[in-house]
Amino acid sequence: MNTPVNDTGLSRFFQTLVNWPKTVVVLSLLVMGLTLSFLPGLTKDTRADAFLAPDNPALLYKEKVKEEFGLSDPFVIALVNEGEEGIFNPESLALVNWITNEVDLLTNINSDRVVSLATEKNIVGTEFGMDVDDFFDPVPSTQAEADFLRQAIDDFPLYKGSIVAKDGNATLVVAEMIDESVAEETYAEILAIVDRAPLSPGDELHVAGEGAVLGFLGSYIDADAQRLNPLAGLIITLIIIFAFRRLSPALSGNIIIAASVLMTLSVMAASNVAFFVITNALPVILIGISVADAIHIYSHYFDLQTEQPLKSRKDLVVETMLDMWRPVTLTTLTTMAGFLGLYFAAYMPPFKYFGLFTAFGVFVAGVYSLIFLPAAMVLTKAQVSQHFIGQREVGSSELFARAIGGLGYLTRNYSKTIIAFFAVSAIAGVYSASHLVVDENRINTFDTSESIYIADKAINAHLDGTNTLDIVIETAQVEDLFLPVNLEKMQSLQIYAESLPYVQGSTSIVDYLKQMNRALNGGDISEYKLPISDALTAQYFLLYSASSDPTDFEEEIDYDYQKANIRINLNSGSYQHTKGVVESLAAYISDEFNTESINATLSGRVNLNYHWIKDLGESHFLGVSIALFLVWVVSALLFQSSLAGLFTLIPVLASILLVYSAMVVLGINLGIGTSMFASVAIGLGVDFSIHTLDRLRTLSRNTGSDINSALERFYPSTGRALLFNFLAISCGFGVLMSSKVVPLNNFGTIVVLSVTTSFLASMTLLPAMLKVFKPDFLSAKQQSATTQGAGLARVVTTVLAVVLGAYLLLPNSAQAAESLSADEIVERINNVDDGEHVTRRLVMNLTDRRGRERIRETFGYRKYFNEEKKSVLFYESPSNVKGTAFLTWDYPDTKVDDDQWLYLPAIRRVRRISAGDRGDYFLGTDFTFEDMKLEGRMEPADYDYALLGEETIDGVASYKLASTPKNTEVAKELGYGRTEFWVDKSNWVVIKADYWDTKDVLLKSLVMSDIRKIDGIWTRHELELSNHKTGHRSQFIFSDVDYLSPIDDDVFTQRAIVRGL
Amino acid sequence: MYFLPRLSLILLVTVIALLLSSVSWAQFSLRDFSNGGFSGTVDQQWALRTDDGATQKFQTTFEPRMEVDITDSTRLTAIARVRADTESNLGFAGSRTHLDTELREFYLDADWGGLYWRLGKQQIVWGQADGLRILDVINPQEFREFILPKFEDSRIPLWIANVEIPISDDWTAQLLIIPDQTYADLARPGTSFSMRSPQVIPEMPSGLPVKFEQEKRPGRTFKDADAGARLSAFVGGWDVSLNYLYHYQDHAVLFRQVTETGIELTPSYERTHLVGGSFSNVFGDTTFRSEVGYSSDRFFLTNDNADNDGVFSTGEFSYVLGIDYQGWRDWFVSGQLFQSILSDPTHDMTRDKSETSATFLLRRYFMNESLKAESLLIQNLNRSDGVLQTSMEYEWSTNITLTLGADIFFGSCAGLFGQFEEESRITFGTEFSF
Repeated sequence: MNTPVNDTGLSRFFQTLVNWPKTVVVLSLLVMGLTLSFLPGLTKDTRADAFLAPDNPALLYKEKVKEEFGLSDPFVIALVNEGEEGIFNPESLALVNWITNEVDLLTNINSDRVVSLATEKNIVGTEFGMDVDDFFDPVPSTQAEADFLRQAIDDFPLYKGSIVAKDGNATLVVAEMIDESVAEETYAEILAIVDRAPLSPGDELHVAGEGAVLGFLGSYIDADAQRLNPLAGLIITLIIIFAFRRLSPALSGNIIIAASVLMTLSVMAASNVAFFVITNALPVILIGISVADAIHIYSHYFDLQTEQPLKSRKDLVVETMLDMWRPVTLTTLTTMAGFLGLYFAAYMPPFKYFGLFTAFGVFVAGVYSLIFLPAAMVLTKAQVSQHFIGQREVGSSELFARAIGGLGYLTRNYSKTIIAFFAVSAIAGVYSASHLVVDENRINTFDTSESIYIADKAINAHLDGTNTLDIVIETAQVEDLFLPVNLEKMQSLQIYAESLPYVQGSTSIVDYLKQMNRALNGGDISEYKLPISDALTAQYFLLYSASSDPTDFEEEIDYDYQKANIRINLNSGSYQHTKGVVESLAAYISDEFNTESINATLSGRVNLNYHWIKDLGESHFLGVSIALFLVWVVSALLFQSSLAGLFTLIPVLASILLVYSAMVVLGINLGIGTSMFASVAIGLGVDFSIHTLDRLRTLSRNTGSDINSALERFYPSTGRALLFNFLAISCGFGVLMSSKVVPLNNFGTIVVLSVTTSFLASMTLLPAMLKVFKPDFLSAKQQSATTQGAGLARVVTTVLAVVLGAYLLLPNSAQAAESLSADEIVERINNVDDGEHVTRRLVMNLTDRRGRERIRETFGYRKYFNEEKKSVLFYESPSNVKGTAFLTWDYPDTKVDDDQWLYLPAIRRVRRISAGDRGDYFLGTDFTFEDMKLEGRMEPADYDYALLGEETIDGVASYKLASTPKNTEVAKELGYGRTEFWVDKSNWVVIKADYWDTKDVLLKSLVMSDIRKIDGIWTRHELELSNHKTGHRSQFIFSDVDYLSPIDDDVFTQRAIVRGL
Repeated sequence: MYFLPRLSLILLVTVIALLLSSVSWAQFSLRDFSNGGFSGTVDQQWALRTDDGATQKFQTTFEPRMEVDITDSTRLTAIARVRADTESNLGFAGSRTHLDTELREFYLDADWGGLYWRLGKQQIVWGQADGLRILDVINPQEFREFILPKFEDSRIPLWIANVEIPISDDWTAQLLIIPDQTYADLARPGTSFSMRSPQVIPEMPSGLPVKFEQEKRPGRTFKDADAGARLSAFVGGWDVSLNYLYHYQDHAVLFRQVTETGIELTPSYERTHLVGGSFSNVFGDTTFRSEVGYSSDRFFLTNDNADNDGVFSTGEFSYVLGIDYQGWRDWFVSGQLFQSILSDPTHDMTRDKSETSATFLLRRYFMNESLKAESLLIQNLNRSDGVLQTSMEYEWSTNITLTLGADIFFGSCAGLFGQFEEESRITFGTEFSF
């Protein structure tokens, strides 16, 4: 307490601050202002997909499915009518028609993808074959016509449950967006349509679906944030004023809050990180934390002023800072450590950024508390209030003093009881932790009173469900889906899926074919089965297209009848419910499908959610462990005693375990919002224990190791400050408890719970344990300020080293929890888009060992025909090879030889040439035929891959992999004994490769450069391959690369290469 | 040109070539001409007879090429050739012996109405055979240097209306009308490669004067035009084609007539129908190719004195079977078996009923295909005569290629090949392209 103000560097620093208060304040505000210039660039991202790393395979596959079948997250508008006829009355049906037309008109709605009774078609048999007619052709205008329609729907099992409820009381209009980024506006437009819809008696309209969630979430959360943040700020300001009975602490405190929150958001904007759903909690957290340091500093200042009323303000401020800089730094560092734990452990980008930026905000608050605050204190001429002085007296009758006094009394006299109590609750907590349920349901983000929540429930009650899971079926060849064996497999899969709990229905091309079969065979329900031959299936499609639009089945099957999609509807989106479905289907698929002729892959919203929730539990406990570890290390270093470090953890651990028990009792699940609480709780709670421990140690040394008298002095001073600190934080988080966003609400509740427990434990358990166990660090000699300063420097360095070490050792990329294997990396390499077709100029520069150069200019075309790849290369110069053309048809099966033709102008005809050895060199270059064919991709059928590690090549972070041929035959054929290659981590493009021959002599080295995006596709423009054996070098330079201009199929024929470019 | 000593001319050409090669021609890109391009080659060849070391030819050829894109779907191509030979051993067309200029090819490529047209003076090659012509009979050949030059150089382009009809991705039909009555250009009598073989030149009873009558050459542009059709397809991995050509054979038939004054030889061009096809496919490292043809009216010489014109007509069935093997790295090995069988033979023919020839090609690449060594043997199995052509070609830089070769004839001097035994030679060549 009475640290002599001597001439150390630190005291000189604080003296400078108080001597130039105006300068310091202006500079601080200037820095803040400059950083704030980035703030307008902050963007919002409320998509559920934002929670997945952009290159997560599940997300990538979903994008592919969207491209193939056009399926995306729809808006679902439900019309419910519980009357006698249900929705089968002319007025309700007219309403469906009206809504469909209105929705169709919206610019962001894909007119091809609006589905409702008004758009769907009935398939009936006629004497001539099949008749495909719109259900609403014409719109039923009498009850008789409506009844007829009901019968038609009854006769078409596919539609029952999917767009019309089985009981006929509800029907859906489903609409898909073109551009998801403007979902909010579209949602508002749809709500406007619903508002002016001509409802008849009994009609109810609801708007739900993932599209609606997306649209609503943004504004929902904005409205929430706009309410919460000012509220939190106001409450805290009031608390400060109440505590100190002065305005200036509140003013300075608010400036520090502003600096911390706004600068953090600005840096976020400057780093191009979006504002996610969970980022809403960030300002509230920072408000609570930033103000804690100010409270402690002011409290101590007022204490000193009370004791030395005659000392000059400047001297008092300096003395305060010299006393308080250590605990303030400690608490800042430990809180940062807590949040960084979240950054390291989380695998979802929004969480990682949350942890990272909150840590940054805490840092800013700490810096401003140490630099700006002293200057502000001098400028505002802070003066202790009489009231405050009064509270300090032991035995004061003021409420807070009494409360603290009570705690002190308890601790001094019942220390052993307190320890026993907390021990029991700890055990209960551990037991509860093992019973925590991981669950997440996106609709539960909304309060139960919200219309979207009600709509979702209504739709899931009446119809098959708003939660969709897609299964994409792929067969080996074009038109393989005509084969009954494949269709029957799909049918069995659907039957199996529908037997699973929460699965209410499914839709696929099988259902349409069955209806067609029934229509063409008299209409009896017994004929509702698959056609018996592939020829028959083909005929049905043909008949259908004669009466209707063949693109009707775009969402179910592709143009070549090779890929199909089965959409499964679930009436619950909760992870616990869908987990069973996803895992059962995955097991079924791996047993029954995934052969050479047919395979299936899960996709869709439910699948995506399953993937990102399933690792949540693990990641949570990992985060807790890391945060605790970091905090222990920091505290141990700061107190120079690992035991002391452990003591600081005690209140925190107690609080976390209590929260686990509370969650189990209250039925709160571990989900997106709540899983973060532990890191936050650790970061906040440890502040109490550090202040307590630090203060008690100092007091104990001053009183000659008498813990009891130390305790007596502790409560009225530091204890009181801690009380206000606690009140500020708990009120800040308490504000979250009023949030309408349910996960945030839950988050607020449990953080308040944990912070309260931390506070109480710091006030009671920790002192009790110190009293009972009397650890050595309490009585260790007090150090001088110089050694303290040196010690701190050491500590800060070590902390940074530990943090850095953790950063390097722990896999900190978004794939952390998945820790990529070599095969997964190869899969990502092969998934890099190389464009459906490309035209490009290629100049081949061949240089021999003597430096003699031969240059060939060529122009090439390449196009994919499904899985087949055709490419043609025309030589343009020099003129003695001009006109030479090389045509290749690459077949995907490595066992099927490619077909190649060479047109030689000298003989004026096309020669059919053997594909030869894949390891033969391509037309005099150092690239083999296989190298040219793969174009930077990998061939897992030939090689085994291993991950060697990570390296930075020319500033590019990359994975280093090795590949070895699977057997000696492949090695001989391809000419390589092994290869090593480097893959750019950011875009999965191979940037460098080394090749060894079968005798393990370094054969050639390949370097790729000028890799940039053309038309959105990563393109390597320069390849340089050096053959070390021959000294020959081949340099390929690509230019004029064009992925957009279409290429005539005819270019890849023999007649085209004879004709020439 | 022929004033300059030979050696200094070689040196001059070499120096010019070296100077020009040092220019970075990559910058002079054909893309500079937005409408097409201008390119060409300059070729220098020096042939020395192995027999006596005399120069058989010292020939410089300049072949410029111009391509102009008239519209997006039409392009005009023009190729000219200027040849100058210091020697007069080989002769050129007409009476000139040292200089020859020709508009080689001049055609319009057009994409009209979904069909691909090529109209103008052009070369069209049918079939799958290398060197031996069964279906490759659309364009006639120049024989001033026998079969030694590249066929692209010895083939005579004709004015043809050529239209290709794409039927599907795998099927194409082609129709030709050739209103050009240009036929084979034989080596002038007295030149190195003028025909002496009795297969071509009828045996004359000695003592009687021989008179060459005026050639009976078809002259009616359309009535005497050749016409052809081809259907080609890629089916089940096989490249197949079905060909039909109704044409005048490129070699005149010498009809002999014995008169009071002596023997009159009248060269006459005869028409025939040619029906045939070709197939090729690849099996692992081996390419199999084959060509068959049946000519309805072929005319051959007979020494039967009872025959009143010394010529008999017969149908001819011919085929070739070829195998290309590329299994060894940098090697290309190819063998062909060719047979021509007459359907109506007669006595005392100058050829056998069944004539069989074989070819064998060995090619090896070195140094990233900058050096190519090749050996081609063509042998007639009936008469055991043939020719061995070997060469080494070195691509010294992007634009310069150096060649060293030898063409050796062997066998009976009555044979088609053996007759030129004395003309066996070694050649030195330089080609410069721009």
